[in-house]
Amino acid sequence: MNLDDFELDSLSELFNVGLHRAAASLSEITGQRINVDMPQLVVCPIAEIEKPLADLVGGEIATVHQIFGGAVAGDAVLLIEHDKAALLAKLMTSGEAAGGGRLDQSAREVLAEIGNIVLGACLSGFGDMLELPVSFSVPRIHIESLKSILGSLRSDTTEPQYAVIVATQFRLSELAVDGYMVIAIPATSLSRITHALAERFG
Amino acid sequence: MPSPNDLADAVERGARLSEDQMVMLQTLGDVLDVGVLCVDPRLVVTGWNDWLERATGKRASAVVGRPLTDVEPQLRPASRSALEQAVRGTTVVMSHRLHGYLIAIPSPAGLERFANMQQSVRILPVFSDDGEERGAAALIQDVTERVTREEELRMAMEAAQIANKVKSDFLASMSHELRTPIGAMSAYADLLTDGIFGEITESQRDPLERIKSVGNHLLGIVEQILAFARIEAGRETVRPTDIDAVEITNEAMIAVEPLIAKKHLALSSEFAAPSMPMRTDAIKLRQILINLLGNAVKFTQTGGIAIRVSMPSDETVAFEIKDTGLGIAPHDLSRIFEPFTQASGSLSRSHEGTGLGLSVSRELTRLLGGDIVVSSEVGVGSVFTAILPRLTLV
Repeated sequence: MNLDDFELDSLSELFNVGLHRAAASLSEITGQRINVDMPQLVVCPIAEIEKPLADLVGGEIATVHQIFGGAVAGDAVLLIEHDKAALLAKLMTSGEAAGGGRLDQSAREVLAEIGNIVLGACLSGFGDMLELPVSFSVPRIHIESLKSILGSLRSDTTEPQYAVIVATQFRLSELAVDGYMVIAIPATSLSRITHALAERFG
Repeated sequence: MPSPNDLADAVERGARLSEDQMVMLQTLGDVLDVGVLCVDPRLVVTGWNDWLERATGKRASAVVGRPLTDVEPQLRPASRSALEQAVRGTTVVMSHRLHGYLIAIPSPAGLERFANMQQSVRILPVFSDDGEERGAAALIQDVTERVTREEELRMAMEAAQIANKVKSDFLASMSHELRTPIGAMSAYADLLTDGIFGEITESQRDPLERIKSVGNHLLGIVEQILAFARIEAGRETVRPTDIDAVEITNEAMIAVEPLIAKKHLALSSEFAAPSMPMRTDAIKLRQILINLLGNAVKFTQTGGIAIRVSMPSDETVAFEIKDTGLGIAPHDLSRIFEPFTQASGSLSRSHEGTGLGLSVSRELTRLLGGDIVVSSEVGVGSVFTAILPRLTLV
């Protein structure tokens, strides 16, 4: 299942709106101006996800994982390289950029909240803009390698699975932290989204 | 009624709770030491478990049925907004570091660093079986003690970092102060030996040579301390140039020849190729090799030192320095690279030196993108191998 340029552009715009909502929420909570870049999207069969993802992230990765269900269902994971995740958590809580260090339990909770806001804002876009409402689970945070992330993406279905990779940057205090979302989604859910995109924007 | 497993699954995966699950959650919250606050869509309190009774001193009978803003007149906008968001169907996370708490509860006794209990909160939407919004359930975890310990640890680490910086600054400034007079002392000893200030006798020559030797030794120690202080302060910079590993190795060997001769040891070399071009910092590579060779000489009483330079891959060059010295016990291997340490004991004076040579060598090697590995057998000898990239990137 290949998405054409129109579908990719529409989906990018959907995530762009979600990410800006997330940035607005984070700015309100932290009292700091937080911006996000226009996301870059890659859609591919889940079996082919390793190469494009490995080009983006490596080493120890902090992940926030949420399962979502409803009109469309799947797994959503926010990925940020460990050191950058520690830096992001520190920037958001103290505004200081010096030495991110290790992610202690409190920093992990901050990251879980950031992940919940970012993933929630993007997934809510399915409901708000495409009338495909979803609910999502409590976020789980892990520090893991790319290999274990790939292994953890849900595959308890015989249906073909696709991955939507969303790359963006969080900008605050004149610094940029790369963040990536991977949304693993069955073919039927992806098809529902593309139909809804055609109806909404076509 | 749902089973506890169903409930755990709902909390973990499903996001939405049924009304039955919400009731069970209040009981489970007491078992799991978690506060459970339930509200309806208008934020009227519908559930207040025993944990909340104990923590707030407010009985459930006095709270349930009342608007949360009556029960908590100081309810903050962020808390209200989070509950309203959950009522609309969104799972909400509130971390203590960004919010502090959902509802104001005094800190537990002994943890008064924070006026209010620090809370980690998850708020789940509650729906009826037919999909109607029925409110939200907030799971409140007291993290005050953990946060207090993290805060203490953070302050201790900051204090340690400041102390470490003071130590590095002291070492750097003392080393600078020492280097100049030692250099002058050695220079004057040279001038005296050369007869610039008049003819010297044979009986005077030997003490003068000793002054020079001790001066050079002291200068070496000061240079090590300066290098260590620069590395610790992150002020050591890498300046790669095109060099030949064979040439640099030969230069390092020449530098340690007097030490070798003094102890009547043998020094041999083996090169995998007549020339091994690299792009790296020549001064640092030379210092690494002199340190490793000097270390081998220091701990070898009989036999000799052999250096072998090879290219294990197209991208790396390995400098293997093998001695027939004392060897290092397995339990000492892990700490020989720690500063101010020699294998036979911390700050040992059994062998002269600062105990910085190996530490500086490893840090310099890492700065050049490589590392040092060591293997050793007590009574047989040691092999230190510095593996460096052929191309060091800045």
